[in-house]
Amino acid sequence: MWREFNKFGKKLVQYGLTHSHFGNMSVRVGDKMFITRSGSMLDELDENQVVEVHLHKPTSFDIIASSELIVHREIYKNTSALAIIHAHSPFAIILSLLTDEKEIIPMDSESIYFLHEIPIITGKVGSTELAHNAADALKDHKAVIIKGHGTIAIGKILEEAYVHTCCVEHACKVKYFVDLQNALTGRL
Amino acid sequence: MDWYGWCGKLVDIDLSRRKIQVIPLELDIMRLYLGGRGLGVYLVYNELTSGIDPLSADNVLVFATGPLTGTPVPTTGRFACVSKSPLTGTILDSNCGGRFGPYLKFAGYDAIIVRGASRTPVYIRIADNVISIEDARSLWGKNVRDTTAALRGYGSVLCIGTAGERLVRFASIMNDNTSALGRGGLGAVMGSKNLKAIVVNGSNRPRVYEPNLLRYRNADITRLLVASPVSSKGLRVYGTPVLMNLINYMKVLPTANFRRSTSPHAYELSGEHIHERFEVRLTPCYGCPIACKREIRSSGMEVPEYETLAMLGTSCEVTNLNAIIEVNHLCNDYGMDTISCGATIACYAELNNLQLDPKTLISLVHKIGTRRDVGDELAEGARRYANKMGHPELSMDVKGLELPGYDPRGVLGMALGYATSNRGGCHTRAYMVGMEIFGKPKLIHRLSWVGKPNLVALLQNIFAAVDSTVMCKFALFSVSEEEIANALSAVTGIDFTSEDFIQVGERIWNLERLFNLREGFTKLDDTLPERFFQEDTDIRRISKAEFMSALLEYYRARDWTKDGIPTYDKLQALSIAGEYSHVA
Repeated sequence: MWREFNKFGKKLVQYGLTHSHFGNMSVRVGDKMFITRSGSMLDELDENQVVEVHLHKPTSFDIIASSELIVHREIYKNTSALAIIHAHSPFAIILSLLTDEKEIIPMDSESIYFLHEIPIITGKVGSTELAHNAADALKDHKAVIIKGHGTIAIGKILEEAYVHTCCVEHACKVKYFVDLQNALTGRL
Repeated sequence: MDWYGWCGKLVDIDLSRRKIQVIPLELDIMRLYLGGRGLGVYLVYNELTSGIDPLSADNVLVFATGPLTGTPVPTTGRFACVSKSPLTGTILDSNCGGRFGPYLKFAGYDAIIVRGASRTPVYIRIADNVISIEDARSLWGKNVRDTTAALRGYGSVLCIGTAGERLVRFASIMNDNTSALGRGGLGAVMGSKNLKAIVVNGSNRPRVYEPNLLRYRNADITRLLVASPVSSKGLRVYGTPVLMNLINYMKVLPTANFRRSTSPHAYELSGEHIHERFEVRLTPCYGCPIACKREIRSSGMEVPEYETLAMLGTSCEVTNLNAIIEVNHLCNDYGMDTISCGATIACYAELNNLQLDPKTLISLVHKIGTRRDVGDELAEGARRYANKMGHPELSMDVKGLELPGYDPRGVLGMALGYATSNRGGCHTRAYMVGMEIFGKPKLIHRLSWVGKPNLVALLQNIFAAVDSTVMCKFALFSVSEEEIANALSAVTGIDFTSEDFIQVGERIWNLERLFNLREGFTKLDDTLPERFFQEDTDIRRISKAEFMSALLEYYRARDWTKDGIPTYDKLQALSIAGEYSHVA
């Protein structure tokens, strides 16, 4: 299991989708979930950096799991997701800070095909508010952006959640540069 | 002069001469050592000459509060006790919650120093400015609960049980039944002085220099305590038994006297299981929002701490929860350190090839508490017992203090922390549990030496200062030295930066080291039992070469010589250069 985490953790950092000890990942298996540890670096994950916690029942392992554990729990309880990736993708964060809208509509064909619109939600790190907002938005979306914070993407497997994470960042990057060019050339 | 945070005076009690004096303190000394552990170390270092018998009238006991004790700063209802240890011969400080610390402060004293020895059993009573030495002959022979019940009408009770009276070398001193000055045999020192108890009450709160600023600082600390899952979700929900499943999962749980590092029965002793089995009631120390201490509602018996569950439980290979609750209660009532007691019994079991059962474990605790039969030999601690039996290698100790509940093979910062601890095998000096186990404030790789020597030295300094304020170490899972220095400044009116605060800790650490060097300890004592260098468990043995290299790097980080001796320049920078002659 941890090797899968290791593979996508490295890819997330390698492609600039998150860095330092930011971001976290989890996989649901029945009533349990495997989640990265609080403070772990996603490009250095080994078997000691992934912990198993119960989906419904808090245990002592909660305190060494990612501080976003509560968000992961709420998403699994309310959606069909089996894998979650939370990243601090820069263009997604930038766009969420530049707009007052509640969602971002991708401009590129691939992203609009995969994601449709991308909701922008609010809530403090590891808060119940964030957990509820994320779970609610992900009932009918594949990914969301937490305003000024990062992305949460879901999938049936980690690879799918990774693809959705990449897709959000790609959509935001394209939109950022198109909007910038439009602003520079007065085409708004 | 006006004192803020501190009271500016201590009580000096000579039991041999039955003389009581109230002595003013100097602000310069308090600025250098703060209080608690720091003040105690300063006083013990200066009061004692090298080579004295810790169980003679020549030894002293210092009970010291800190500038934050009894103030509204969260988790500061604590105090320290410092002496020369009868178990290790090193300097010894121990730190305790309960109510005694704040009450001593409310009575108007920063510290009590007890010297000499009474010819007959006595107890000390303090109520504001009325201080007396009272007859305790009727209390002698009673255990902690009965003694506390007899004296509790006078205030917060600090007392020994029969283990302290009979000079069990790891006897503890208990505050209000369940909070312990646990390690190193302070209870035996008290017993050697025929001092059964100290009971204190007071009616004045310590003054705070900037109350409004302190409210702001406290809000900062409280916010961090609430935000941290370790304090708000872990310790508050399960108490320290929250560690049992985590430590087992990390394969560092002492099992069978450290011959193994996991137990298939760990869950039976875990916080989760205790919660399922019993309805518990929180019994927090004074002024503590974390509230890690708890008791079983139906029986009123204490829920054992993690260290007890590990050392009297898995390390002795007895994992019956009811039995561990009972031996924990017995240890508290006799007044004995559960860590050393468990480690010594585990050593005894290995040495005699015994498989212990609950009944035998309970019987052994009774025998040690009363020094009956084999209990008399075990009451000397694991090192003396193993040496006497010709198997010194089976005592899992450092400098004579038995190791607690973390197998050093799987937590290398902890390994270095154990080896370099001034009071011997102790986890709370650098408290690497935070970073290597919980990942707080930052997760570091527990099987790597990289950066550990520097980090261990820094954390030892920080915790020495924290133990002098006196704040609970558990707060450090959430707050940093910066928030504590800010609170300290608001309380005392003296500007402490984080660097000032850490330097206080470094000064204390170096003075403790000087004490031990003066007593004849050397770099050869900064090591671990051979088992950890020679035997694998689920985790590989520690490479001795790597350990020695880390130790040298640690000495360098401290500006000590390669023989582990503080340099003159270092002592001068710490304003204790006058003590250099002891090691030159």
